[in-house]
Amino acid sequence: MELLPEGQKNTVTVAYEDQQRINEFSKLIMRKDAIEQDLTQQRTEKEYLDDVSLEIELIDEDEKVQYKIGDVFVFLKQKEVVEKLESDAENIDSNIEKLESDEAELDSRIKELKSILYAKFGDNINLER
Amino acid sequence: MDTLFNSAKTNPRGIPEAPFVEKVEQYVKSPEDFDMCFSKFQEHLSKYKYMQESKLANIKQLKSKIPDIENTLNMCALLKQKRETEVDEDDEEEDDSLLINYQLNETLFSKASVNPKDPELKVGLWLGADVMLEYPLDEAIELLAQKLADAKQNLDISQQDVEFLRENITTMEVNCARLYNWDVQRRQQMKKEGSSG
Repeated sequence: MELLPEGQKNTVTVAYEDQQRINEFSKLIMRKDAIEQDLTQQRTEKEYLDDVSLEIELIDEDEKVQYKIGDVFVFLKQKEVVEKLESDAENIDSNIEKLESDEAELDSRIKELKSILYAKFGDNINLER
Repeated sequence: MDTLFNSAKTNPRGIPEAPFVEKVEQYVKSPEDFDMCFSKFQEHLSKYKYMQESKLANIKQLKSKIPDIENTLNMCALLKQKRETEVDEDDEEEDDSLLINYQLNETLFSKASVNPKDPELKVGLWLGADVMLEYPLDEAIELLAQKLADAKQNLDISQQDVEFLRENITTMEVNCARLYNWDVQRRQQMKKEGSSG
């Protein structure tokens, strides 16, 4: 935060439409943060799934492994678990894809708003983090 | 002054929209009113912030609740799947029951055997308020699916509210900043006039 230099006045007036744009900008930034949080979480989950899918190949098809559902571990045959893991991975992939496309959409709108607001307010507004 | 915040515009949950100050003079009729006006705006801003906090807490709670419901639903789905699939004929050692490793206590796990083909099979669902009710599997799945849909809808609504509040907080912050700057300029003006005159 910086004070305006002595004697200099901030002459740009904030019109209603500008306020709306600033509001939208701040809303989108918030939405983007939430999406990013979700994405990191989903990506870690995906990594775990990838690792475990590799490991499970080493186990015999009819051997039982413990598959976690909620708070409990269920003994299932390896081949059943492989199926479950595959469907889990599919779900996560589609989640990640959706989040990524949402984020790309947000980014382009944020960029648009930024250029409008900077064009109007110049150095008087700070939209970076 | 109070009528200022009784904006006709609200969001679907009745949260009022913040007024937009286009010209400070519209709100501050005389310089004596300034302090009162400014504190009203700040009070209103903190109300919005408080509301946002409570909505955020709400979201956090829903976000932890949804995976719980999903897990329970998954477990029920597995039981249903096991009940409906025939055991392989050539698999002699195989019996119908499902072996489960469950947490009995924080530091203790134990094994349980569940027979999904038992015609009497019921699952117990916590309904809250220390009540657990037994349901047949299909009913449980129906109930859980409904609960999951409700929770997701609530989450969506809460998120919309938070976004709406965020927008209004931004408006109010800009309003407060402008009121404040207006006052600073006015004082400087007065000082100048005082020293020159």
